[in-house]
Amino acid sequence: MLINNEFNEEKIQSPLQYIWALFKKNNFAVFAMWVSILLVVIVLLADVIVLHSPFVQYPEHLLLPPYWIEGGTTEHIFGTDDLGRDALARLIKGFQYTFGGALLITCLISLIGAVIGATAALTKGIKASILHHLLDALLTIPTLLIALILIVLFGTSYQNCLIAVSLSLLPQFVRGIYLAIVSQLSKQHIIALRLDGATNIRLLRFGIFPNILEPLVTLINQIFTMAILEIATLGFLGFGTQSPDIELGRLIADNIELSFLSPWLIILPGLLIFLTIMIVNIFTEGLRHAIIQGED
Amino acid sequence: MLNYLFRRLNLLFFTAFALSIFAFMLALWSSSELTANNGNYVMLYAQYMMDILQGQWGASIINQQSHMVNGLIAFSSTLELCLVALLTSIIIGIPLGIFAGLYRNGVLDYTIMSIALIGLALPAFWLAIITMMLPVSFALALPIDGDISPLYEVPNITGFQLIDSLFAIELYGLDAFFDRLAHLILPAVVLSFFLSSEIIRLTRHSISLVMKSNYIKAANTKGLSVLQIVFRHVLKNALPPIIPLLRLQLNTIISIAMAIEIVFSSHGAGVWLFASIKGSDYAALPAAVIIISGFILLSSIIIDILQMLISPTTRRILYADK
Repeated sequence: MLINNEFNEEKIQSPLQYIWALFKKNNFAVFAMWVSILLVVIVLLADVIVLHSPFVQYPEHLLLPPYWIEGGTTEHIFGTDDLGRDALARLIKGFQYTFGGALLITCLISLIGAVIGATAALTKGIKASILHHLLDALLTIPTLLIALILIVLFGTSYQNCLIAVSLSLLPQFVRGIYLAIVSQLSKQHIIALRLDGATNIRLLRFGIFPNILEPLVTLINQIFTMAILEIATLGFLGFGTQSPDIELGRLIADNIELSFLSPWLIILPGLLIFLTIMIVNIFTEGLRHAIIQGED
Repeated sequence: MLNYLFRRLNLLFFTAFALSIFAFMLALWSSSELTANNGNYVMLYAQYMMDILQGQWGASIINQQSHMVNGLIAFSSTLELCLVALLTSIIIGIPLGIFAGLYRNGVLDYTIMSIALIGLALPAFWLAIITMMLPVSFALALPIDGDISPLYEVPNITGFQLIDSLFAIELYGLDAFFDRLAHLILPAVVLSFFLSSEIIRLTRHSISLVMKSNYIKAANTKGLSVLQIVFRHVLKNALPPIIPLLRLQLNTIISIAMAIEIVFSSHGAGVWLFASIKGSDYAALPAAVIIISGFILLSSIIIDILQMLISPTTRRILYADK
């Protein structure tokens, strides 16, 4: 695409600049992007920004409702739980473990999965078929079952929960990226690049990568969503963080007996998981649209 | 076709082999009686497989029953939940997906897709807890836990309690059947929330791909009405590609169903595994791998072959070499 800068000369935008220009037009997506960045900042600074410590108990304020409900105070904005601990601080602390763990897993899976997927797609013969069959076997085991097995094998801890979730999500990512690369391999520009004598690395970097941006973004979004949901599910079942550490799923499980006494202790963590996933989804959806439009 | 069948069965064989080795390793780790042999793992594996094929899976230390019986009963309950949820979400999801795909980028599309996005973003266990609070909050007469009221002692014939309660019709009439159905409603609603969002998304994508194609434009210029186009051209081409995509989600669906069952404490695979782990009866894990993964593997290969039989466009790859 041609743009005019202030020197009034016609310049060709790079594809990334063009995608960014298209992305900026989508107000919703830009807003979601800023909120996502804000969420990452909250995760990084969670210990600094909370007003109360998530572990300090206030015996004079037990089971306070949020401040907008009769009986709540602005001192504890989201109220307190049955031991008098500040709900907002616990929410932020739990969010740190859930969201941070999901981010970590997504980065790890994207790196390892890209290497495995590219190897499986670009090699032929026995190496590719072993990778393929192993992945097929792993894909048939439900994620919850893999996680339970790993946790039984290695013991219950937050680290093992993260390892279990990433092992159960890795085959899906590898399969997705494998299919994306294979669909590109028969294209004419790839064959031309191959005839030029390009090595596999060069082929991936300049031939395949720019063309699989859209499936890549979709896949990473999917993996991230699944990672949050699964960390929360494992935490809820008691296989995630161990006390005193908290995590959003565990927060819900801890307060499940209070569901009629103070339902917001259950509703708020679930709502936070839901809103996080929605915002990240809106952001990546906008990115995906920009990439699709840029390719046309 | 024979060639394709052979390739599929080959794949089935290799994947089943990898799975059985995985289960064997788990069994080796979890039970002490297997390691007594003087270190010859090949013979040990052969013996383990013979035992599995003959149905001797070892007894559970919780209720002294065979793991196979326990697992099959538990998994059939999970499967029942999945099938009921699948049925309702097909009824809800496919028409909505068709509307969203037909009127792409309209108001209807945005509304339907926002609902689908919400369905995919809600954590299933949390939604289950919230729905458990509903009967009390709104005074609905719905049971919130267990899988059938203890009043009815339904004999176990097929494992699917909906069908079993129909077999017990001379004992309780239709009461047991309706009781089971009432117990299934809330878990099925939660599961179909996820499932129908997934189906809406896939249907919409598939329909909008078909709507772009030239034969739809030709049908439009012929002057066919929208209904005629949809029923004559769109559905036949758009619905079959959804099936393999849904098949890929099979393990996600089952694992969500397991989590939901734990919340509703109905005796499915989730509760079985959870109780086994809590009771340190780890030999249930290899049994679960064999039952659940074996089911997913077999059903996905059967779906692949059926797909090949019913859909001419996928059959094309049998004849043309890329």
